[in-house]
Amino acid sequence: MSEQEKIIDIGDGAAIPDPRDKGLFSAWRIALIGTISLLVILPLAKPDPYAKILRFVPDGIWVTFEVTIASISLALIIGLLTGLGRISKNRYINLAASLYVEVVRGIPLLVQLFYIYFALGRIVRVPDIVAAVIAMSFCYGAYMGEVFRAGIKSIDFGQTEASLSLGFNRRQTMAYVILPQAWRTILPPVGNEFIALLKDTSLVSILAVADILRRGREYASESFNYFETYTMIALIYLLITLVLSKLISNMEHRLSHYERR
Amino acid sequence: MNAADPIIRINRINKYFGQFKALDNVSLDVELGEKVVVLGPSGSGKSTLLRAINRLETISSGSIVVDGHDLYAPGENINTIRMELGMVFQSFNLFKHKTVLENLTLAPIKLKKMDKGKVEELAFSLLDKVGIRDRADHYPVQLSGGQQQRVAIARALAMEPKIMLFDEPTSALDPEMIGEVLDVMVTLAREGMTMVVVTHEMGFAREVADQVVFMDDGAIVEMARPDMFFDNPRHSRTKLFLEQIL
Ligand SMILES: Nc1ncnc2c1ncn2[C@@H]1O[C@H](COP(=O)(O)OP(=O)(O)OP(=O)(O)O)[C@@H](O)[C@H]1O
Ligand SMILES: [Mg+2]
Repeated sequence: MSEQEKIIDIGDGAAIPDPRDKGLFSAWRIALIGTISLLVILPLAKPDPYAKILRFVPDGIWVTFEVTIASISLALIIGLLTGLGRISKNRYINLAASLYVEVVRGIPLLVQLFYIYFALGRIVRVPDIVAAVIAMSFCYGAYMGEVFRAGIKSIDFGQTEASLSLGFNRRQTMAYVILPQAWRTILPPVGNEFIALLKDTSLVSILAVADILRRGREYASESFNYFETYTMIALIYLLITLVLSKLISNMEHRLSHYERR
Repeated sequence: MNAADPIIRINRINKYFGQFKALDNVSLDVELGEKVVVLGPSGSGKSTLLRAINRLETISSGSIVVDGHDLYAPGENINTIRMELGMVFQSFNLFKHKTVLENLTLAPIKLKKMDKGKVEELAFSLLDKVGIRDRADHYPVQLSGGQQQRVAIARALAMEPKIMLFDEPTSALDPEMIGEVLDVMVTLAREGMTMVVVTHEMGFAREVADQVVFMDDGAIVEMARPDMFFDNPRHSRTKLFLEQIL
């Protein structure tokens, strides 16, 4: 795959830094150094309120991570199934998967969140955080499904034919030949979805889930330090996503080993 | 199956792509150990016929029996039948994420549940045979086209098939690499492998074929021993084809 195609693959999110972007003054470095500096300097220079905010908010970081990790794991499973469903030759499976994707894509995440939260609340009483995870993964599973589908379809059909001709059935072909290669194409957009999902978890703060944003809002409404609180929250999100995007880009680079001569 | 039965029996098959008839009432028997070379102009249905033999292409009517197994009989498992049929493609189709050695060992390990050590032993002897043992831990992108195609042949052989199908194995190669692949095929033929080969290499056809099949418009126009076929073609379409190509 050429560099050109790879850049297109990453898609509109483009949160992942270009692996060649190693210069001292890359945008990523400037952003990271700036973020860390501010997170250190502000609390030192003005402990009240910055240091107080930093002591209050981090409880929410773990909640944000919990929701993110749980949702992405579920979304990956749903996504794989949906992606396979979307390329299935079985008409009903295909229709069901496509319908799911269409419906989810047509409804704003925030509305889905409310909807699932309250719809679920009528049937069973689940903890808020569980409702949040279900809603997030239901939504992101559909996007993930499209990512998987595109990844699988990007693999030359000759690979499938070679595998079938050896005696592998379709399921084995998918598991041993197609998915291991598709993963390479799938990883950058999955990485972007992961980061997008992490940021979108801020929406669950309206469902009484005590994530970073909610903790911040609680602090701000007591202390009235709105500006300072949201500054710190923005910086914390930025630090997390900057680190994650670097990790993902390194992983992507490692996975492409067999494409290098 | 009788010892005298052909190992491949293609009986009056037809194949439609929508309205288009790609195979027109084709019948062909291949005996155990026989080498059949299929010739014909582009679009005449050579690939379709070859791919019908391992059901990569499903036929519209007729029957194909391979080693006693009817490809379309309800009780038959196509995957087991395919293990008897090695296939080599024009575009190699090596598994890009696997090393040369892994390309050879993947199917025997997973499908025959063979012991890894035994499979690797077999794989190395096959790599020796096709002359690429020293590249065992390379990835396909690191090989030339000729090397890739030789690995692809070895990969098919690693399943120890009874029959080998070749679809224009040298057409995607630079001229200087064609010889190394044909050499491997000639060796294989000498060892008694049953082979069906679609190719434009007339030298190979003359040297190796027991039967030359000439196709045009989805039908078999002429079938003959190579000396008869090249020196005494009976049909005018065969003559025209040979004039154009030689
Ligand atoms: N999947 C398909 N859908 C529609 N038409 C097809 C398909 N595959 C092959 N054909 C048509 O069937 C005819 C025979 O194709 P085939 O590939 O068997 O020819 P061929 O003799 O192998 O030609 P070539 O020498 O170019 O490889 C061609 O006219 C081709 O366009
Ligand atoms: Mg062809």
